[in-house]
Amino acid sequence: MRVQAFMFYGCAIFFLVTDVVYWLWSKDWTGTTALALSVGLAGLIGFYIHFTVRRLEKANEGPLYEDDPQGEIVQAAGEVGFFSPHSWWPLFVAASAACITLGFIFGWWLVVFGVAATLMSCIGLVFEYYRGHFQH
Amino acid sequence: MLPVATASAIQATPHARTNRPNLVSVGTIVWLSSELMFFAALFAMFFTIRSVIIGQEGHHAWPGAELDLPLSAFNTTILVLSSVTCQMGVFKAEAGKVGRDGGLLNVKRWGLREWYVLTFLMGAYFVAGQCFEYYNLVTKDGLTLSSSPYGSVFYLTTGFHGLHVTGGLIAFLFVLGRTYAAKRWTHEQATSAIVVSYYWHFVDVVWIGLFGVIYLLDL
Repeated sequence: MRVQAFMFYGCAIFFLVTDVVYWLWSKDWTGTTALALSVGLAGLIGFYIHFTVRRLEKANEGPLYEDDPQGEIVQAAGEVGFFSPHSWWPLFVAASAACITLGFIFGWWLVVFGVAATLMSCIGLVFEYYRGHFQH
Repeated sequence: MLPVATASAIQATPHARTNRPNLVSVGTIVWLSSELMFFAALFAMFFTIRSVIIGQEGHHAWPGAELDLPLSAFNTTILVLSSVTCQMGVFKAEAGKVGRDGGLLNVKRWGLREWYVLTFLMGAYFVAGQCFEYYNLVTKDGLTLSSSPYGSVFYLTTGFHGLHVTGGLIAFLFVLGRTYAAKRWTHEQATSAIVVSYYWHFVDVVWIGLFGVIYLLDL
């Protein structure tokens, strides 16, 4: 992960240099702002991965298996996280979000309906594993 | 009897492994980076239209309305402070302290819930303040989304940000709901509290940028 962090830092530095040169040549606010935010785009991910890898190395008391040239695939075994085995809710969330978008074309009444449907389907998605048999 | 092969394979740990990044957190950060590009488009729109119409009079005036700087500055302060209260909630979430164990006014004994409710109220105040500002601009200055280029730019940039704040408020409600719905407080609930705080800090930082260009740049 350390390598990935520095790859993103590299992109951020590239955008930073480009940004400065662009501003000096063009004095254009639009492109300069967009490039400055691109520094954030790469820098934010780089910073977060760097921050995470430092924390994990401390917890792991040594480099992570990804960064170890002698590392084995088997070291990466174990729980990755919680993944919903099957859920209908993303479909309902997408359908209700589509209602909002279609409402911009067909009429505001559909937007009102879509917002209400989105809220309800989001509640369904967020709380799916917080009720019933498989409650967390 | 031979040990059953599957028995040891499903030894699920209640906590995520310490040598692996949390997928939800990393995914949230990647998504927030792409959100940054969404706002980059809004900034690009702002500066493009500004550079085209600045210096003109009447319909194409820039800025097209007298903005209420004190109101907006106070609103901004509330939003920035809400990031602080949000972070206090995160510290409590990481410590596993969900609810308060003292009186309601005993801030030192507050848990995640109290800090997040306070953050929610401050965020709601921000949105309400922005609605009040819109109301004044529409009724007193006649600035609407379609009245002038400045109106379009102003309402699109601040409006999309306001929608993001509203989305964050709903997310706070979901996290608060989860604190009540979960049987016990685990890593997963803490993660959702933490990633909502990432989003909230992001929305806050974006607003500081928007506030700077919309309210301070053309003073």
